[in-house]
Order: sequence, then structure tokens, then C-alpha cells
Amino acid sequence: MSDLDPVVGIDLGTTNSVVATVRDGVPRVIPNRSGQLLTPSIVAVAKNGKRLVGTLAKRQAITNAENTVFAAKRLIGRRWGSKEVEDARKVLPYRLVAGPEGHDVRVELAGRTVSVPEISAQVLAELKADAEAWFGRPVRKAVVTVPAYFNDGQRQSTKDAGRIAGLEVLRIINEPTSAALAYGFGKQMERKVVVFDLGGGTFDVSILDIGKSVYDVVAVGGDTYLGGEDFDRRVMDWLTFAFAKEKEGIDLRQDRMALQRLKDAAEKAKCELSAAPSTSIHLPFLVAGAEGKGALHLEKQLTREHLEELTKDLVDRCISVAERTLKDAGVRPAQVGEVILVGGMTRMPRVQKAVKDFFGREPCRGVHPDEVVALGAAIQAHALVAPAAKGQEVLLLDVTPQNLGIMVVGGYFQTVIPRNTTVPTSQTHLFTTVQDNQRSVRIAVMQGESERAIDNELLGEFILDGIREARRGEVSIEVTFEISADGIVGVSARDVDTGQEQSITVTATSGLTEDELKRILDEQIDELLEKKATAGEFDERREKAEAVLREIEALVPAVHEALERTRFGKDAVQKAEGVVARVRAAIEAQDAAALDREQENLDRTLQLFKGLAASARQPAGG
Amino acid sequence: MSVDRYSGFVFAPADLAEDVDLDVELRKEILFSEANVEKWTHWESLGIPWNAEPAAARDAYIAKVKVFHPDRYPGKRLGSYKARLGKIFRRLTEARDLLVDPGRRAEYVRATAPAQEFAKMEARKLEDERRSQERKARIARGNPLLARAGRVHELARRGKEAFEAGKFAAAANDLLIAAGMDPRNEALATLAADAKRKAAATRANELFQAGLELEVQERWSGALERYREALDADPAHLRASAHGARAAIESGDLASARALAAAAMKSSPQAGLAHEAMGRVLEAEGNAKEAKRALERALELDPRLEGAKERLRKLRWSFLR
Repeated sequence: MSDLDPVVGIDLGTTNSVVATVRDGVPRVIPNRSGQLLTPSIVAVAKNGKRLVGTLAKRQAITNAENTVFAAKRLIGRRWGSKEVEDARKVLPYRLVAGPEGHDVRVELAGRTVSVPEISAQVLAELKADAEAWFGRPVRKAVVTVPAYFNDGQRQSTKDAGRIAGLEVLRIINEPTSAALAYGFGKQMERKVVVFDLGGGTFDVSILDIGKSVYDVVAVGGDTYLGGEDFDRRVMDWLTFAFAKEKEGIDLRQDRMALQRLKDAAEKAKCELSAAPSTSIHLPFLVAGAEGKGALHLEKQLTREHLEELTKDLVDRCISVAERTLKDAGVRPAQVGEVILVGGMTRMPRVQKAVKDFFGREPCRGVHPDEVVALGAAIQAHALVAPAAKGQEVLLLDVTPQNLGIMVVGGYFQTVIPRNTTVPTSQTHLFTTVQDNQRSVRIAVMQGESERAIDNELLGEFILDGIREARRGEVSIEVTFEISADGIVGVSARDVDTGQEQSITVTATSGLTEDELKRILDEQIDELLEKKATAGEFDERREKAEAVLREIEALVPAVHEALERTRFGKDAVQKAEGVVARVRAAIEAQDAAALDREQENLDRTLQLFKGLAASARQPAGG
Repeated sequence: MSVDRYSGFVFAPADLAEDVDLDVELRKEILFSEANVEKWTHWESLGIPWNAEPAAARDAYIAKVKVFHPDRYPGKRLGSYKARLGKIFRRLTEARDLLVDPGRRAEYVRATAPAQEFAKMEARKLEDERRSQERKARIARGNPLLARAGRVHELARRGKEAFEAGKFAAAANDLLIAAGMDPRNEALATLAADAKRKAAATRANELFQAGLELEVQERWSGALERYREALDADPAHLRASAHGARAAIESGDLASARALAAAAMKSSPQAGLAHEAMGRVLEAEGNAKEAKRALERALELDPRLEGAKERLRKLRWSFLR
């Protein structure tokens, strides 16, 4: 393997992302450059215009909520005006706008309008850089996971994000399938497995038949709008209402900074309650009080019992999705050989109990819910680039999560490829002209479960044009609908009589157009060249700053000694410590401008320390 | 992958020579399968015997996709073979999906059955049907409500059979009883009325034939009796009334003769036979002029009426004389 390019598997999560690889036949998570296994899926533009990703972005989210984008996965591939996007607009602290065609969603970030795939691409690029640092080599190929219930638009946009991040996406695979892969890898097992994946923003259930290294997905189900963040929101709502009641109707939701603090506190409390029976939420100086009064604090106790009460219907929803999926697969709960829990939310005791009660068995505890998806993706990535060693072969047979079909007369939805069909697959459909000399046919392709077209997700409108002129009904066009192993839909058309390929124009998609993608990639190259130029400059400054820092650090013991004798300079030393901390942060953030600003202060600090150290030596010397 | 498996199959040299990372045996297997997979039955493409269990289909599928899934050849150049593998994989998936689906499987099993198996299945099906009929009848006998319904069903069935066989009297009997037991069944009532009408017509014809036999023997009063009975069964029976009028004249009952002729005229005013009968009655009554007119009208309507011609000739002759 070592002579091949390294490949990685990436779990691009709603709240956190993980990158993993297979080394010497063992799948393992790659830590990021700060040494953590999980990287927050957060992108921000700091006040100084610097772009931040991951932990750094998360750290400044409270003070910079409007320019900090989290949970982009909830928006990716969504249509502007859809219920999901409308709901998100109400609760997200950053601003959403419609794309240029009015179909897709864009994010306003520091005065720029950015597409959602570009946001996700930043997270992917960060993970790519982490992996490159770990391997010491460039990484170009990856398998990226998505929730099984993602539709074509969401998958396509995720793939675009990979491309923008400079990755060749070998395959888009489903998160639960990926988890099952990591679970079964290297073990010669034959059993039916259910993956119950409750993540930050999405919920998925998959049923697999694992046999002789073939992972055959029998059925998938899910809800792309049900996850840990909904649990957080219940806690937040409870806190806001209680606060409004106690503090004469002050609405915390009006204050973005308070809202962000509340969100963090709610998430923290929820996590703590997985281990402890009760926890306290303490947020001092949360908002300014009414005129003349000081700042208001929030102080609350939350018990596990109460949390379970607040979120009972969410857990019930998960179980009913599981029930339906099992029915689709024609599998009874008793036939299930193993239940695998995936996603941080499955740590909640109430969720585990609900799963145990429904399946009548203890869920598997052998896999790490946060890492297992990335590990599976790494295994699949590995299997797609090199022949596997004996006993490590894997073959994934996944299915399409939703019915794929077209809109027919009367606004009805006609299924062309039913859900739970093994992919890759294809199906042809015959269209006939209905008017004399008809030159074009418009086909609205959609995905969903409803009989009524309007209730389903529109993937795009395909216009077959340049049809040869003939009497009505005399031209038949065979349209082939295809779903790739990535779960991405392709449409092609052919004139049945002449055998001629028919041209297709796609409009009204929820993603980026090919032209836009090209433009973004071009922009990126410009940016990269610029970065290269500034990188040299930055390195120079960093070296200079680090040299000064080293000198300062060497003087610290002497300075302390001096301070013990004289009260003079204590304030100055405290200020100096602040300068040192800021310089360190600037180096970490690779912020050349900030470093430049601090250089003068740093030099002054060095002079001060030198003076103090000299004063400390003097009495000793004479 | 034995060699005789491919006997009769011609490999295109260009396909075999394509520059890809697959050994020649595998190329042959892929080319052969791709060429045949569309025409093979699902059993054949999975390589399992007809009507093999769903579990066998699933196992065979897993074994086959290990060979024919494009993902099984990572890092290898596949060229045109990638699309070929894709096509075979899709067909294999179709086969598996159908053969493990209890809803669609049964029909496919029947449609693809070898001849002798098909005959066996048909025989079994008939046997099953017979048994289920018997079982139904047994249940029906045991339950009064069901028994009533069963009886109606049985009568209706027998009635319909008789009706189709042309035994209208028997059919009318059964159907009228069934309709009486099940008054809401309109279709049954209509059929019963139809059977009754047809039965009456049949009965009238039989009586008329009997009357004709007596008429030939010139037993006029007996014939008149039969004709009257025929008319009771079917009042619109034209020939019965016409012949009845003649028999009445011969028996000397002119009043009856006139009544019968009038009835014939009323039921079939455009029938020559009716006019002939009326002519004869008028002649017997001594109204030669009217009789002649009636007979002329009869011949106008039906020139083949030999009896009328002869009467008319006689009347003309007597008139001329």
C-alpha cells in the first residue's frame, strides 16, 4: 500500500467531521493537527477577515455568531423555499439568501455570498490538510459519507464540495452502511444487521444482510431533519421560556450572542445527562437587564428525567422510522442478529433503552459511535483503489433510499425506480410526442414517497429538445434513468426510431451548475497563488516572532526573580503576558496581519524583560 | 467456466484483444454472460435450477456479484468491460430481486416452468380447485344461512346449465325458485323471466305440433283443443291461431273460428297467414266479397301461401260462374 497514493474516508458530519484511513490492514482515525480525532464542522470568517475552520472557528462562535457557519449539512443540496430551509432560517444566527437562479441556498459570510458546497469544501479541505500532515504526503482521493436518506441533490452537492476541496471523491457512501462495514470488517460473519444512526442533524436506519464479505443493504429509512440539534433546541426552548417567565418577558432569542451561549450550554447539559442524573446550567451575564438594572444571569437545574420528557416525541419518531424500515425489508425484530448504534445522540440512555425495547436485544457496544462511520469510509476507499488482502475483501451493495420518478399529467408522481432498489441500477421509460411537430418534451424528475408530485423533492427539470418534426405520437423517445453506486441520478435519452441521442438540458437543480463549479475552482487557484505569496511573508514574520518569543521565555526565570524583590513592573509583566498569548494565537491561526501588528509590542516586551533580568542580576553581581 | 460452456459462441477478436487488466478466461466469461444475460431466464443467469429456493437465489447472487461487480477490480483498467460488468450486474440484481419477492416469484415460477413441470402444476391446480369447491360445499351444508345461500347458488347454477342446454322448462323451474329465495338478485330475476318466456314458447310449439298431427288425420275438434292449449301457453302464437281458426271452421264452430282469426290478425296484422285465416272465416260465413279481399291481401303479404291461392281461385271461379 505504501507505494500507492494514500486514500482516506471522511465522515462529513453535521456537528463534527472525522477523517480515517487504512494502514497495514488496520482502519484508524487520523487526528487533526491539534491532536483531536473530531473536527467541528464549522467555518467562520473572523473579525480580521481571516477564514477559520474547525476548533478555531468553534472557539470564536460566541463572539462572532453572524459570521460562523455551523450545521451546513442541514442546508446542502436543499432548495430555496423548501420547508427545511425556511425552518433553518428562523433559528440559524447566520444569514441565508437564494442563489442566482433562485433554486439553491447561499450563505452570507462576511459580506460575500457563498454556496453551501463551498462551506462544506472548507471543512473537507481542512481534513485533507490534516491527513496530509499525518501522512507527510498529498492526499487526493477520498470516500465521503452522507446520510442514507440523502437525495440526489444532497449527494451531488456533497460530491461538488469534495471537488472544490481538491479531492477526487471515489464514492459517496451511506453512513449506516459505512458503520456496518467497519463493524463487520475482517470478521467472517453472516447475519442481519440493523444500523441505528442518530447523528447531529440526521437520523438513518439501514438493514443489511452481511454474508461472506458482501454487505448487501436490504432497506434504508430515515429522516434528514431529525438529530441531536433538535434535542438541543428542546432544551434551549425550555430555557428561553423559563427565562422569559422569571425575568419579566425578556426574549433571549433576540440576542444572537446569548442564543449562541444558550445553544452551547444546552448541548453541554444534554451530553452531561448521558452520564449524570442531573446537571446545572450556569450562564452569568447572559443579557443586559431592563434600563437601570445590571446584567441578567441564567441559573437552572435540569434532570435526566426532564430532558427525556422534553424529547420523548423525538425518540418515538426514531422508533417509528425503524419500524417502517424493518417492514420494508420484510424482517421481524427477532430476526435481527445485531443492532449497531452510531452517532453521538445514541449515547443518550433513553435512546438506548428505546432501541433495546424495540429490538428485544442489547445493542452492540463494540463500535465507537463517533468514529465508526469514518472508519468504514476508509475501508471502502481502500477497497476501491487496491485489491484487498485475503479475508479483507469487501463488496458494498447499497440501495436507493427514495422512489425516483417523474411528474405525470394531473400533478401525480409516477415511480420509475422504487426505493430500496440495489444500485447501480437503471430503468427506461418511453415518452411520445402529444402534438404535431412537437420540438421538446419537459420532464420533471423527483424523489420522494408521496403520490402527489408537489410533495416530493424536485431534482431537476430535464428538457429534451431538438426532437425531429413529425405527426403527434410518431416520435418515441426512450429516456433512461440511472442511479450510480453513489446514489446520484443520471438521465439520458434516445430517439427510438433513429437511435439518435437526444440532447437534454437540466434546469432548476438545487446544486451548483457546472459553470459555477468551474468558476469556484478557478477562484481557488487564484487564491492559492496569493496564499503562496503571503505564506512566504508569513513564514518570515513567524520566524522573527518565534525568535523573540524564545528570547523572552529564556528570560522568564530571571524576571520572576526580579519581581520577587521589587513591586515595580508587575502591571507591565501582566500586559506582556497578554502580548505573548496574542502572538501565539496569531501563529496558530497563520494570521500574518495580526502578527505584524503585535511585532512592535513583542519587541517592547523583550526590552522590558531584558531590563528586569538585568536588574535581577545586578544585586547578585555586586 | 469450462470450455464447452462457450461452445457455439463466437468471441469477437477485437473484444478479446482489448488492452485491459483482466485475464483471458475472465474476459471470455464476461463476454459470454453479457451476450446471453438478456435472453437467459433468471434461473439461468444465477445458475440455479428452476424453482430453487429464495435462499439459494440469494446465495447464488452473492457468489455471482463477486465476479461481476465492477468494484471487484480496483485499480485495474477495465475499458469496455466496465460497462459489460455493469449490465450483467443489473440483470443479476433483477433476477435476485424477483426470485426473493414472494409476490412476484410464484408467477415467474409458472411462466418459466419446463413442459412436464407445467403439466404437473396444472394438474395440481385443478385438484386444488376441486378440493376447495368440495370444502365450500361441506361448509355450506352445515350452516342454515350458508345452506340457504348454497341452495340458491346451486339452483341458479343448475338453472343456468339447463338454460344453456336449451331445456327451458327445467331452467325456468330452478331459476324461478332461486329468484324467489333471493329476491334482491335482479340478474337472477331477469334470467328467470327469460327462461319462463322461452319455456312457454317451447311448450306452445310442442302443443302446436300435436295439433298439426291431429289436423292431418282430420280430427278437427282434437286439433282445435291442442291449438287452444298452445295459445294458452303462448297467446301470440300465430300459426296456432291461424290453424285453430281452420279447425274451428271444420268443426262447425264459426264463432270460435272468428275469435281465433281475429286474435291472429290482432297479434300479427302484417302476417299473410292471419289474413288467410280471416278469409277462410269470412268465406265460411258467406261473405265471399270480403273473403276474396282478405285472401288477396294475404297473398300480397306472403305470395307463397298455397292454401290461400287455392281458396281464392275457387272463390273467383264461383264468382265468375
